[in-house]
Amino acid sequence: MILVQEEDFQVDALYKSLLKSNQTGAVAMFVGLVRQFSDLPKEVCSFELEHYPGMTEKNLQTIVDEANTRWSLLDVCIVHRVGRLSVDDQIVFVGVSASHRAEAFQACDFIMDYLKSRAAFWKKESQGSQSHWVEAKTNDEKSLERWSKLRNS
Amino acid sequence: MSKVRVVFFASLKENLGQGECLVELALPLSIAELKRQLADGLDKGEVLLEKGIQSSIDFEFARDSDLIPEQVNEVAFFPPVTGG
Repeated sequence: MILVQEEDFQVDALYKSLLKSNQTGAVAMFVGLVRQFSDLPKEVCSFELEHYPGMTEKNLQTIVDEANTRWSLLDVCIVHRVGRLSVDDQIVFVGVSASHRAEAFQACDFIMDYLKSRAAFWKKESQGSQSHWVEAKTNDEKSLERWSKLRNS
Repeated sequence: MSKVRVVFFASLKENLGQGECLVELALPLSIAELKRQLADGLDKGEVLLEKGIQSSIDFEFARDSDLIPEQVNEVAFFPPVTGG
């Protein structure tokens, strides 16, 4: 399941959605949150996420397809929020179910790494009347290198 | 000549002051050539030539050397992505 939505999500419900197979022996989940990014009170800080409707969903499906070729997975769920968010809000959920924990952990990590650098989302932080677009981190791009090294080893 | 929809996102959309435009192009044309045409033709279009600006052709990430085919629906330009 891949969802890009403004609404918040319930981790418990998403966890349960990953338990369809009686072969499930492990579920790995990641939740990303809006952390405090300013010295100003959190009430005057906001956060906006823009996406490219159509391309974003396609990017996420490509990442899930690649994860499925690398590991034996039972189910994958990605929910990414867009629109206006506040400090402490949930942004993203990635959940993976598999028969064994190694596959679930690795696939969840892989999907998050690729989501950060290969899915069409853009973040903007606002503090009072000031706002700026968040710049991509070189570390995020470097995180992808370990997956190509793993594949080539 | 073909009419092609070009869309912009995030800081690029703000800097250009528009989210999309319709351009008449002689296809096939490379992404780099389209960038140069838009940089010359759009108000503040030089922001498209900044380092790191990414692109897509019909929802697929594209490189500067990629050719926009005659059957294209949409080309997009945007800054590096920052999701998650």
